[in-house]
Amino acid sequence: MKNTIEKEIVLNNVGMEFDNGTQKVTALTSVSLDINKGEFVSLLGPSGCGKTTLLRIIADLLQPTSGSVEIGGETPKEARLKKKYGIVFQSPVLYDWRNVRKNVELPLEIMKVPKAERKERAEAMLEMVGLKEFMEHYPRQLSGGMQQRVGIARALVIRPEILLMDEPFSALDEFTREKLHEDLLNIWRKTNKTIIFVTHNISESVFLSDKICVLSPHPGRLSAVINVDLPRPRTIEIKNTPEYTALIAKVRNSFEGV
Amino acid sequence: MVIKKFLKSKYMVNIVWILLFFIGWEIVALLVELSPEIRSPEKVLPHFWKIIASVFDVNKIDGENTAIQLVLMNAKATLIRSVEGFILGMIWGFILALLMNLSGIIEKIAFPYLMLIQMIPILGMAPIILAITGDINKSRIWIAAILTFYPVATNTLAGFKSVEKEKHELMYSYAATTFQIYTKTLIPAAIPYFFTGLKIAAPLAITASIIVDTLQGDLGLGCLLSQSLKGSMTRYVFWQIVVISAAIGILSYVLMGIIEKIISPHNRLKKN
Repeated sequence: MKNTIEKEIVLNNVGMEFDNGTQKVTALTSVSLDINKGEFVSLLGPSGCGKTTLLRIIADLLQPTSGSVEIGGETPKEARLKKKYGIVFQSPVLYDWRNVRKNVELPLEIMKVPKAERKERAEAMLEMVGLKEFMEHYPRQLSGGMQQRVGIARALVIRPEILLMDEPFSALDEFTREKLHEDLLNIWRKTNKTIIFVTHNISESVFLSDKICVLSPHPGRLSAVINVDLPRPRTIEIKNTPEYTALIAKVRNSFEGV
Repeated sequence: MVIKKFLKSKYMVNIVWILLFFIGWEIVALLVELSPEIRSPEKVLPHFWKIIASVFDVNKIDGENTAIQLVLMNAKATLIRSVEGFILGMIWGFILALLMNLSGIIEKIAFPYLMLIQMIPILGMAPIILAITGDINKSRIWIAAILTFYPVATNTLAGFKSVEKEKHELMYSYAATTFQIYTKTLIPAAIPYFFTGLKIAAPLAITASIIVDTLQGDLGLGCLLSQSLKGSMTRYVFWQIVVISAAIGILSYVLMGIIEKIISPHNRLKKN
């Protein structure tokens, strides 16, 4: 078994200090973590635990002040330049002046992909997230959930190996969120991406993940890694099982000093 | 049903607004006319219909042209100068905003000067510009340009700065070049702000050219305005100029709105 598992992301004693001028604030202290290829991993914790900071370090949007990060044997910068990851933010961050298809084509335009191929790839992605009929709509004509799907399609259109998601569903209502959970799992199964999913929602992390990394604040640190061995594919019904409830309790109990 | 829908439409607001304006005008004009202290009511506020009637007056004022011909001829001269100045100011304003956004040092150096230029009254600035250019026509264009470029530069800069952090991060994650960041993200995002600047600047450019006209006799609404006040021609030339300048000012604003809508059709869409 062991040799079939390939490590995709290796965090080694990652620490992050911010200097706000008057004092140093420790956002993260010595986080070590391995994330395997194709794994769905949640970074779970309350605000101030450094979960978003950790995601941003992996995305090369922040430089850690100590420790190292390897993505497929490369530095985060190399991984970024090779478009190894796609990123989805809490807000959809769509371009109002571009229609849905053009929004998804944007990263391909930057990468100078020829027009016909851009169109084809964007359409394929939009079909996968279930928005094929809305391709010529503008973002403001879409609901919040649909906008976030466009964001996911845009992240995946560059064919990254990793999908980084920063609280992508936290601004959505419960019904939309549950629907998107199932859809995200389907997309994940079809594409075999490694997903790192930042959230402060315990049930969301249990429902989605293979592995939950529980982070605690003051200072931000990794306090537990919990494996979620619920069977896949998962549907909403799994939330009614005692195993699911037990896992939720286990995750909740793992928090320290919140 | 149709009537009800019409009553609620935005046209209704405009119609009510226009009606109230003219009713108000006529009431004041009537009061002025009836007031025993005011000896020449047409100097304070004539009836609007009298101004309209004066447009159709065929009397030649300067031996060649009727009042309206004279006004339109001068309006054309003023309009051409303000449009030239406006376009120049628009280009400078945009380039300056771009430079200020590209370099914090340029922004810190340029901004106080921008403010300073704005604080000098137009009538104070005009003779200086005239002394520099040595040509009244050029200095009129310059003044229009100077008044245009400040609102355009500051609003466009605000537009560049309004782009949320995540869009910058997205561009960074795609390893976009500075050129791509500007063409794909910052400039399109700043377009509505750019047009806000243009909407402020367009009537300003016209007002400025009219004011600067008054400094030296030539063709131009401002020149005609000062002549008409000296009593050598009918007072209605003055009123025609007032109405036409106001109309040009409003139209210039409306025109900017129309161009913006053509350029960015997504703004017309209703939010879901």
